[in-house]
Amino acid sequence: MTEKLYNLIAKVLNVPASEINDESTPESIESWTSFNGYVLLYELETSFNVKFSIDEAMDVKNVADIKRHLNNHGVVFDD
Amino acid sequence: MNSKQSLSDFISKSRKLRGKKFGKKIKIGILSSFTINGLSEVLQVKCAEKNIECITYVGGYNQYNQEILNNKSNFYKFSPNITFLILDTRSLLGEFFYNPYSLSASERKDFVNDKVKEILNLVDTFCKNTESKLVLTNFALPVYSPYGIAESKTDYGFHDMIVDLNSKLKESLKEFNSVYLFDFLLFVLKYGEKHVFDFQNFFFGDIKISLDFIPNFATELMSYVIGVLGISKKCIVLDLDNTLWGGIIGEDGLEGIQLGPQPPGNSYMEFQKILKSLSARGIILAINSKNNLEDALNVISKHPHMILREKDFACMKINWNDKVQNMKEIAFELNIGDDSMVFFDDDPVNREYMRMNLPDVYTPDLPSDSSQYAEILQSINEFSVLKITKEDSHRSQMYLQQKKRKELEKTSSNLDEFLKTLNLHVTIQKSNNFNIPRISQLTLKTNQFNLTTKRYQEEDIRKFSNDSKMLVGCAQIEDKFGDNGITGVFVVEKNNPDEWILDTFLLSCRVMGREVEKSILNYVISEARKSDVARIKAQYIPTKKNKPIEEFLPSCGFVKKKDHWIYNLDKPFKVPEFIKVDVR
Repeated sequence: MTEKLYNLIAKVLNVPASEINDESTPESIESWTSFNGYVLLYELETSFNVKFSIDEAMDVKNVADIKRHLNNHGVVFDD
Repeated sequence: MNSKQSLSDFISKSRKLRGKKFGKKIKIGILSSFTINGLSEVLQVKCAEKNIECITYVGGYNQYNQEILNNKSNFYKFSPNITFLILDTRSLLGEFFYNPYSLSASERKDFVNDKVKEILNLVDTFCKNTESKLVLTNFALPVYSPYGIAESKTDYGFHDMIVDLNSKLKESLKEFNSVYLFDFLLFVLKYGEKHVFDFQNFFFGDIKISLDFIPNFATELMSYVIGVLGISKKCIVLDLDNTLWGGIIGEDGLEGIQLGPQPPGNSYMEFQKILKSLSARGIILAINSKNNLEDALNVISKHPHMILREKDFACMKINWNDKVQNMKEIAFELNIGDDSMVFFDDDPVNREYMRMNLPDVYTPDLPSDSSQYAEILQSINEFSVLKITKEDSHRSQMYLQQKKRKELEKTSSNLDEFLKTLNLHVTIQKSNNFNIPRISQLTLKTNQFNLTTKRYQEEDIRKFSNDSKMLVGCAQIEDKFGDNGITGVFVVEKNNPDEWILDTFLLSCRVMGREVEKSILNYVISEARKSDVARIKAQYIPTKKNKPIEEFLPSCGFVKKKDHWIYNLDKPFKVPEFIKVDVR
């Protein structure tokens, strides 16, 4: 599941998946602009079939936060 | 034809377009009152699919006023061919979006009138500063009103304001030839406010068209790109069995095929009704079907529920020949290019075969469910033109007359004989407000009998017409079978008093091969003589398609000098005597 998530983020942000890890942030990845952030949110919702609340969405500061919120919606990460 | 590609699919695809070569080019400006990121990437991908290079300029967030009012703005420096100005109801109305009833009914009216003035002022400034066409969106009608169901009992209520605003804009913008109103309200109606507007998107980034509907919005805007570039399709070629009716006529027989008021026959009737309405607006219909001619004609002429009859088809290829070969013959007989045709066939193998052999023919996928045919046909925007001319709405009739001419041609012993019996009549007019749209349309669409293939928008033709150093005119061509409408155009540059330059000279393919071009050229020659001009200079710019006009200049007595052709006006010009010419 982590791989699916990283690939999705990599696709939206147009960077190699190998550059994505749980510590990745909008500061560490240049293409993670606010607009790409919205696109990412939308892609996450479609791919994982979830709907984030506005509080959850605003709370995302790095990839680990995305994982945590996806997990709250029942998406299980094995690692 | 993927049913749903997400915005990020388009964005990734757009990144791969850099450095690719395309056949055509368009520069698009995007100005908006809200965040519209992603639209330019989708437009680039959709243009690339049509072999168009699309270069975009996206104005800063909510900077449309500054971009338009400052005549030195980066937007004007970009000099687009077409600009989309995308405004939204919320931004326009400001606090009155929430509190319209803090104003009295008469204040609401004044408010709307002021807003119309504001927008028109912007449009006016825009038109003074750039040659770009402008597509302005009208305003979506918010479903919510604080008055709720009492709206309908309210004098000039919130909803009336929006309706009034839109209708005033539409009326006022008719005066602006290069400005078009995109019916955004209709777009929202098509997909629903709940889908197009997403509160979270709005709160996060002032995104007022939700990210999943940006691709749909771009699809609608592509109609203008097709219209501006003059690449709209002209002809629909149809298969018969399981396309115009259900079942197979050769097996099921006249009574056995599905066509009539009961399902599934009514889905085929519906499909035919929409085809018929497209034909009435100028799209030519043709048939390309593997069948016994007699069986098929029996349905077309005798079936009580056929909507389309023989007279609705400009060309019918019903035989057991190869469908690609049939398609080529249809293009040849109708004198149109492969890239002007759309092919409908229920059989995926036939479609794939057509796409492989004639990739320029647009062959959309058809589902096996005939109840979707009508919707698919309605959703195709390949037929988009910016304006419907008189010639468009009479086109089907003209092709029918053409069929009769062809029959006469077959019975005449030689060409001269045939032309004499046609009673050709050419009426030449200088450009005026009525014929300028058609003149522009002909320069945009004519490929074969076109000396220089220069493409001119309406504004260009208008500018030339007001220029005393230019001569712009057109020719209307009639014969005993009917009126072909305006089908010839010339543009002459008169800067040098000794030597006029034939900038543009063209004939629509419908009237080729009747020597009317000589009568038209004779008009230009006699005008030149009246002004004591010594010679006319012309140029033939070869393209893939304009071979038919290659011999025109030498056949009229032009002599080649380097890469130009010269006609000395002391030389007499031989005009075809069987053509009657009037000048208006």
